[in-house]
Amino acid sequence: MKILKFVYVLMPISIILSFMWAPSAEILGNTSRIIYFHVPLAWGGVLAFIVSGIFSILYLSDKDKKYSMLHEKSYNSAQIGMVFTILATISGSLWSKLSWGSYWNWDPRQTSISVLLLIYVAYFSLWSALGDNSRKGRIASAYLIFAMITVPFFVFIIPRMYPSLHPDPIINTEQKLRLDFEMRITLMVAIASFTLLYFYLLNLLNRITVIDYYARDKQDEK
Amino acid sequence: MVEEIVRNLKKDFRVEFRNRSALNLAVAFAGITTLAISLATGGVPFPANIQSVVLWIIMFFCAMNGLAHIFVREEEERTSLFLSLNSSHESIFLSKLIFNVIFFLVLQMIVCPLYIFFLQLQIKSPAVFILTILSGGICISAGTTILGAMVSKAGGRGSLFTIISFPVLLPVLWVAIATTTRSLEDEGYSNYGNIIFFLAFSGVIIAISFLLFRYVWVEE
Repeated sequence: MKILKFVYVLMPISIILSFMWAPSAEILGNTSRIIYFHVPLAWGGVLAFIVSGIFSILYLSDKDKKYSMLHEKSYNSAQIGMVFTILATISGSLWSKLSWGSYWNWDPRQTSISVLLLIYVAYFSLWSALGDNSRKGRIASAYLIFAMITVPFFVFIIPRMYPSLHPDPIINTEQKLRLDFEMRITLMVAIASFTLLYFYLLNLLNRITVIDYYARDKQDEK
Repeated sequence: MVEEIVRNLKKDFRVEFRNRSALNLAVAFAGITTLAISLATGGVPFPANIQSVVLWIIMFFCAMNGLAHIFVREEEERTSLFLSLNSSHESIFLSKLIFNVIFFLVLQMIVCPLYIFFLQLQIKSPAVFILTILSGGICISAGTTILGAMVSKAGGRGSLFTIISFPVLLPVLWVAIATTTRSLEDEGYSNYGNIIFFLAFSGVIIAISFLLFRYVWVEE
């Protein structure tokens, strides 16, 4: 997992590129630089949700117990995803205020991200309500898979059905990037660095979970 | 399996009619909410979009009030283990699903006429309105069946059911509100695409719930 430490190099590069190398957009001015944080954070939130879902599916299908503590890892991923999603929402609403004049207007993409937040909140509520229940992992994993069904509807269908103030997705229906070269490179570096940050944090939390598990085990032995 | 489903359904209906608390509470809740809204507005009719929003909010909270009950009761009365020993998890899920669909359709039959009567609803396209109410109701009851099982295993906390159901049911509520508004506003509105959406959504939700129910209900 040494590659994850590359985040220490890539994240400062991404910040420097965002503020010093990439040009500001024509109409939006310097406020357009939020894109280098808002888009990668939103991507991180969705990625964390997908990873949580994959861990949940593996946990439920792992009859031979080949993998350990997958449900805890799924929970860890969701925790990071929640933080990323909150930050994406805050950065998005700040940008919305600066360019559209209001912090929130139920644009389809704002609705999608708030639904993602609600799913995370529901998942954490269920997790804590299950307490020490022996089936906690199974039930929470089942819920996450169940909630995942609605996500494609909000992320892909609703934003295309209803008029949106958001620009076309960066990779749009024509499969073309409509950004200057410098902006495109900066955005790609930002997405890569936030993805790396996500995996770095996930690895850290997973290691803490394992240590915590063995520490409790030792305590129980005493 | 059909025999098991019928047996479980008979048992559930018999228990429910012996002790009609869930049905009584749900009906009372629906009636009181509708009356409270009508009273608060002094009988002044709302615009169509507000009417449909309020109608679906009432129905959503009626569902939250009554649909987890069928599983929570099994846990409270400590009959869930006995039920699991006597029936397969597939038949348990299907019987509870059918019960919830019937239960919610009955609730809708009470809520809708009351709402139409007290809030003076003018329905321009009755066919679409009725189909939206019915198919939306099936969607809600199908979506909440497995969630009711999860809540029952988490100790049956009432607010938890609403918290975990809302994100899953949001697409249904969103489309249902839009379609109901159109059926109230547009004369001769005959776009049945959203009804197909409800049925497709119910199909997907039921299929996934059917597959996941084992992990929620069966202790391994």
